[in-house]
Amino acid sequence: MFYKLLIVVFLAVSLQGAPADGQKKKETLLSEKVSQMMEWTSKRAVIRLNGEKFRRLIRAPPRNYSVIIMFTALQPQRQCGVCKQADEEYQILANSWRYSNAFTNRIFFAMVDFDEGSDVFQMLNMNSAPTFINFPAKGKPKRADTYELQVRGFAAEQLARWVADRTDVHIRVIRPPNYAGPLMLGLLLAFIGSLAYVRRNNLEFLFNKNVWAFSALCFVLIMTSGQMWNHIRGPPYAHKNPNTGQVSYIHGSSQAQFVAETHIVLLFSILHCSRISHTAQLHTE
Amino acid sequence: MAEHHTASDCKHKTSSNAGGSVSGNGRPNSPAGCGGSGGLSGGLTQPAGWQSLLSFTILFLAWLAGFSSRLFAVIRFESIIHEFDPWFNYRSTHHLTTNGFYEFLNWFDERAWYPLGRIVGGTVYPGLMVTAGLIHYILNLLHVTVHIRDVCVFLAPVFSGLTAISTFLLTRELWNQGAGLLAACFIAIVPGYISRSVAGSFDNEGIAIFALQFTYYLWVKSVKTGSVFWAIGCCLSYFYMVSAWGGYVFIINLIPLHVFALLLMQRFSRRLYIAYSTFYIVGLVLSMQIPFVGFQPIRTSEHMAAAGVFALLQAYAFLQYLKDRLTRQEFQTLFFLGVSLAAGVVFLTVIYLTYTGESHLPVMLRYAKIHIPIIASVSEHQPTTWVSFFFDLHILVCTFPAGLWFCIKNINDERVFVALYAISAVYFAGVMVRLMLTLTPVVCMLSAIAFSSVFEHYLGDDMKRENPPAEDSKQDRPEEGLGPNIKSIVTMLMLMLLMMFAVHCTWVTSNAYSSPSVVLASYNHDGSRNILDDFREAYYWLRQNTDEHARVMSWWDYGYQIAGMANRTTLVDNNTWNNSHIALVGKAMSSNESAAYEIMKSLDVDYVLIIFGGVIGYSGDDINKFLWMVRIAEGEHPKDIRESDYFTPQGEFRVDKAGSPTLLNCLMYKMSYYRFGPYTRLDFRTPPGFDRTRNAEIGNKDIRLKHLEEAFTSEHWLVRIYRVKKQENRQALDHKLRNIAAKQKYTSKKVLPSLFH
Repeated sequence: MFYKLLIVVFLAVSLQGAPADGQKKKETLLSEKVSQMMEWTSKRAVIRLNGEKFRRLIRAPPRNYSVIIMFTALQPQRQCGVCKQADEEYQILANSWRYSNAFTNRIFFAMVDFDEGSDVFQMLNMNSAPTFINFPAKGKPKRADTYELQVRGFAAEQLARWVADRTDVHIRVIRPPNYAGPLMLGLLLAFIGSLAYVRRNNLEFLFNKNVWAFSALCFVLIMTSGQMWNHIRGPPYAHKNPNTGQVSYIHGSSQAQFVAETHIVLLFSILHCSRISHTAQLHTE
Repeated sequence: MAEHHTASDCKHKTSSNAGGSVSGNGRPNSPAGCGGSGGLSGGLTQPAGWQSLLSFTILFLAWLAGFSSRLFAVIRFESIIHEFDPWFNYRSTHHLTTNGFYEFLNWFDERAWYPLGRIVGGTVYPGLMVTAGLIHYILNLLHVTVHIRDVCVFLAPVFSGLTAISTFLLTRELWNQGAGLLAACFIAIVPGYISRSVAGSFDNEGIAIFALQFTYYLWVKSVKTGSVFWAIGCCLSYFYMVSAWGGYVFIINLIPLHVFALLLMQRFSRRLYIAYSTFYIVGLVLSMQIPFVGFQPIRTSEHMAAAGVFALLQAYAFLQYLKDRLTRQEFQTLFFLGVSLAAGVVFLTVIYLTYTGESHLPVMLRYAKIHIPIIASVSEHQPTTWVSFFFDLHILVCTFPAGLWFCIKNINDERVFVALYAISAVYFAGVMVRLMLTLTPVVCMLSAIAFSSVFEHYLGDDMKRENPPAEDSKQDRPEEGLGPNIKSIVTMLMLMLLMMFAVHCTWVTSNAYSSPSVVLASYNHDGSRNILDDFREAYYWLRQNTDEHARVMSWWDYGYQIAGMANRTTLVDNNTWNNSHIALVGKAMSSNESAAYEIMKSLDVDYVLIIFGGVIGYSGDDINKFLWMVRIAEGEHPKDIRESDYFTPQGEFRVDKAGSPTLLNCLMYKMSYYRFGPYTRLDFRTPPGFDRTRNAEIGNKDIRLKHLEEAFTSEHWLVRIYRVKKQENRQALDHKLRNIAAKQKYTSKKVLPSLFH
């Protein structure tokens, strides 16, 4: 009887001991993984993963962090132009997160390149790049955890909204300011200034009416031929019909236009305008 | 269609007349031998009587042509107020005439933006209402009893004539009388201006363009003469402009720009100093009298350029003064000191402004376009394609650069102004379709200059040959055989162009800009016309059959019309000042019925009004606008509404079976297609429940409404009104309670005998 009791007690102890032991092991594993991820993130905002790392850090169960992974093909021989653009936006997003005040270890950004981890692509049955998938802290990725690239585009702001949607982590996208524009303007101004300085004894060209009239005319013609619309909307140069292979230069609707179309119109208005001014001028002289 | 012909004939006459007058004007120039350099002095050698009679006749005809070509809508339909904003203007004018001016200024409109209300007197430009009210008052004083509605309907066409005259005056100042007359004819019929001034479109722009042109005329006049009289006149006109339209900002930036450019070109003069100093001070004080403008002229960044140029002009004049008084050495030291000080001040101001986040208009526009859906949703705020330029200005868009070329080649003080006007206006018109309106007058003036100089040379030289044949120089002789032919060909071509322009203008006015959009018309195969008067039918139903204080929820487009025609309280309207309120309505429309009911309960909604075009194929209905409602709602409530939920997985917006279930069950969908599925079969080629606007068989045919009931559907289903049911008093009894009642009955049976025995 006593013996039996002893066995029961022993069993109870051993049963209780085993999970406690596992828990501890799990926790150490988890903290190890988190510290590993943190270390990589501190080096680089987007962690590069290969097949082995992916299985260990993302697939293997103990995990309390979400990981956003971009599956992509950045090697030049893959010739994926979209991947590069998407990668730039993704880097902006990851950097905005990493350098923000709210940075925690709840979420990590990582990427898998096809040439480094093609086995991952096979494992996930994936055949298109780039793809963004969120691996949530609990459970497997659902349907909504795959980012709808076709619908929402790959702008960092859109990605940030999707991330906020899936993980409740709100990231304020901060784009690094683009200094190219002001720099070019400054260079141009400096160039003009130096030109004016060099020719300071001969500044008559500033009083040349033809120059001014010509530049005003250029501006007006550029505006009336709809170049501003092109600048804001960024339409294609021309449209090639994929079925017939026919190239159309004129847009069918009056609400939109192609770049080629505006160039044609520009040419026509230049012709017309020069004809009018020429006919009138001819007789003045 | 008889009116069509008379109108266009009339215009042909005016434009060819104008061409004739130019030749008349060119005539006196030739003996004097001053080729292209404008002929203001031309009238002096000519018997003045003929010239002024001709000018008067042409201006009168231009007024008449402009007025009559704006009447298409009145003749085809009736004398009604068009579209959306005019309904609000009409309503406030009506308020003004019935309650008086002070009551109008203090008007708090509790029927709009329920439950917030709107302070109307302080949030409108009152110039339009006051003008219409004044005309009505004067007419009634003279015992010409017209209804205020007719005054409102015909105000814009009448003012178009005034615009033509002020354009004539301005162009005469810039070039010569012939160009002025051509410009008046152009502005009278050009579609870019007609689009905002047809009879019935009772809107600020209708009178504002007159004020704009007249202000510019007086400004040019005051710069030319340097008299305080003209400058004060300019200020008064500017005051009228400020009271009429928010576009006055264009004036208060263009005139300083003109002054600045003149300073840079070393064209400073006493005249300029007097004109601008008077204009700035008096104009500033006057503009601040408008309640809606208030202290903006000394606060906001778009008025700062005027102040800066004012200071600069004073400094420049002061330096000029010192230059006369001081020795050269003293002056130079003072000059450098002053310049470095001024540079420092400007530098600090710029830094301050950049750090406090003040920015320029186009930047703001582009920012707003990207970030605020409500601004992006308005089609007037889009950039302009070349098609719109051509559509609104036709041949003028190609000829006005030539006029600009002439102006810059023969530059003087006032031509600097018109060049700056053209360049800034063309930029703004390129950014935003709506600002085509400010471009139109300058295009008319510059094209008139181009046409006028062509005519001057091609018609004028003929006279030269006739009059002094002996004086012809040797160089002219070789041309003699070819000359007249080429000249007549060119003249004919030009006249052809003008004729095509007149035809195009009439066609565009008749087909594109003359629909009231309150009343729709459709044409049958045999050309007979059907009038679809659903909007007024429904609004009248609301007016007659609902409680006086009933609150009607609709999308903001229809707010002004409901207030104006149905006289009922609305939640949101076209004065889109409160984005979150609009987003709340959008959220109600895009949620499912029970969630929407909660919102509608909290907003005290009694009726919901929607526009549905599926029966007749009207494309401007609420389902087509629906995505904007979703977007605006998402902007404020991103947790509850998500745009992607309304798309199919392929990213399409579909109303048929493949559409997303969120869409198929949202309130807007249900209200639009309620009773539409099973009961309607429009013709035998299509299945029942076939939506003609979107060419699809609807996906959810079995629609049941729990919290709403259909109150009214107009003849062609264009307007549908639903009543929001009041909450029921208590919970209905459910099954369990009935069981307990049965038990009690059973026990009572048992108890009863024992009690009696």
